[in-house]
Amino acid sequence: MEKVLDKKSFPQWVKKLSSYTVYAPVQEDEVWNYEVITNPEQVNLDFPNTVLSPKKIIFPQREVYLEFSASNEDGLEVKEVLPEEEPSVIFGVRPCDARALTLTDKVFGGDFEDIYYWKRRNQVALVGLACHTPPSPNCFCLSVDGSPFSKEGLDVLMSDLGSKYFVEAFSKKGEQLINPAKTLFKPPTEKDKKELDKNRTEAKKRISRQIQNIKKIPPKLKGMFDSSLWDEESMSCLRCGICTYLCPTCHCFDINDEIFSSSPLSGKRIRTWDNCQFPDFTMHSSGHNPRQGKASRLRQRIMHKFQYFVERYKNYQCTGCGRCISRCPVGIDIIEVLDKVSSYEG
Amino acid sequence: MVNLEDLKKEAKTVLEEGKVKYIIGYEKSANGLMPVPGFIKSPEEVEKLIWTPACVYNLTKFLVDEKRRKSREKKPDERPVGLVVKGCDSRALVVLLQEKFINRDDVFIIGVSCEETGVIDEKKLIKKLKGKKAEKIEFDEKDNFIVTTQEGKVKIAASEVLAERCLECKANSPVIYDVLLGEKAKRSVDNPFQSLEKIESLPERERWKFWKEQLSKCIRCYACRSVCPMCYCDECVADTINFAVTADTTAEEKAQKIKWLEKSPVKSENFVYHLVRAIHLAGRCIDCGECERVCPLDIPIRFLNKKLEKDAKELFDYEAGFDPEQPSLVSSFKDEDPEDFIR
Repeated sequence: MEKVLDKKSFPQWVKKLSSYTVYAPVQEDEVWNYEVITNPEQVNLDFPNTVLSPKKIIFPQREVYLEFSASNEDGLEVKEVLPEEEPSVIFGVRPCDARALTLTDKVFGGDFEDIYYWKRRNQVALVGLACHTPPSPNCFCLSVDGSPFSKEGLDVLMSDLGSKYFVEAFSKKGEQLINPAKTLFKPPTEKDKKELDKNRTEAKKRISRQIQNIKKIPPKLKGMFDSSLWDEESMSCLRCGICTYLCPTCHCFDINDEIFSSSPLSGKRIRTWDNCQFPDFTMHSSGHNPRQGKASRLRQRIMHKFQYFVERYKNYQCTGCGRCISRCPVGIDIIEVLDKVSSYEG
Repeated sequence: MVNLEDLKKEAKTVLEEGKVKYIIGYEKSANGLMPVPGFIKSPEEVEKLIWTPACVYNLTKFLVDEKRRKSREKKPDERPVGLVVKGCDSRALVVLLQEKFINRDDVFIIGVSCEETGVIDEKKLIKKLKGKKAEKIEFDEKDNFIVTTQEGKVKIAASEVLAERCLECKANSPVIYDVLLGEKAKRSVDNPFQSLEKIESLPERERWKFWKEQLSKCIRCYACRSVCPMCYCDECVADTINFAVTADTTAEEKAQKIKWLEKSPVKSENFVYHLVRAIHLAGRCIDCGECERVCPLDIPIRFLNKKLEKDAKELFDYEAGFDPEQPSLVSSFKDEDPEDFIR
């Protein structure tokens, strides 16, 4: 389905979606993040990269699995907690972040479906916003099979045409978003389509950063487990968790029982994001940690994204959003690291 | 103004003479304005060194890594490490010396004076340039920076883009060094705690609301801890790593270990983390502002440390990081120390 929507009519469209929980980028101080919208007029799609990707909505940093209590003599009472089933829609999803979700789908899908993930994933409709200009100076989606106009993972894609949006729906979920506001949308003219094509070509040219010889990297990495490159490249790493927590494709988690009362016993089993850059990640219960230094943790981040994941799922586990580059406190740049992998001899 | 060639010359000399095993300084990054920490191992690599108003990092942090690395080596190279420090960074070094975390012989200090100016706040600069991409930034005369963008050069008043900490700086030039580059200068700061005034003037309830909102944003990436040169504990309450596990520790015992804070990024746990962090820096923080700079959610955590710095000054007339011989605040007692808080 292809339509155009006047920018002025956009809040009215959002208003029609009152049966959905609506998320959109919201600015607080200098920080943009996806938040629940209560006033449709509040939705502002003129935003750079958000700090956290929409991952935080579908795979929240904290998820309650179950509640337990020993309130009587019969033993432990356990109550399963599942995410509420409510239809939601996220506006302003960047194509790279939507592609990232398609990768996480593979991890949480397959033979062992993660019910918590899918309860949310199935309920949410993703309305993308094409990147006419790169939202970050470190965008490199073109290097990792993406594009600023990619529709992968999206239900709807909106592209800015100045005074209006070109709106494409690719799924039933997407069409269901447009149907209640049908009268607001018009069919696109030939001129609109031409302009869209022009924008698409220009958008690609505006992406200045790229990885050299990306195709060579996965096989090359295979022989680089013991390389000294990891020591060199991790010298300045601080072991913080920014790169992985802000990554739209990182999905590691930890499970802990949080005890609220020890007598009588009650608490919750909670899943939280985990982070391969932290010193307690991979720590065995004996206290031994096979991944001791920061070199092995940087290696893990690169290997997981550009070798193990490729081997298993045939995709890079990176969609080129550039967050890890822009936000690294010491300027560790994944593009540079990968370029050094390409040219590494030894 | 510090001449970069002088810095390179000093670095080259100590490397050629074999006085240091390597030098930690600032290096140009392949992309963009901000430099990266550089580890210079040979005289030839000295050419990579830079010195610009974007040299924000407190490189003292890397002495913590160096110490750990050295402790694992069987026959460690006992020569000192060369370290480029600004005034604020040198104060961090003083605290590490005071606390005997490092020895004076472990480090060859190449002091660089900020003279009448300081380093930038990257976020302020980005805002100021309104979409223009900065490629290079240089010191001009004392009140301005010259920024090169794709559309040409722009002169920007330093006061508009200086990091907050520089506006309240107490040490424009290094307080300890083996070589000093640039002039010893002290910019007069009328009120080094000015940034606190606004929040201090709020009623208690408003302050509580402010911190509740701010700390609820925290995603516990621990970048503020990781970047801090004073956060050098081998074990940290924030990690589950501090389990003293032996061969005969039972599963039951492991399960019973106290967890000081849970991994859930919720208000209560975030408060525990941030208050532990702040209190552990009382009388130690030298206000390099790195914790606040690295926060991806822009939480103004510097206020917490600044407040404690102010308390140390007002209650104990103590300023961290000026004298390596002075006992640290929390390990010393004076008869005249106030005690009216003991009830």
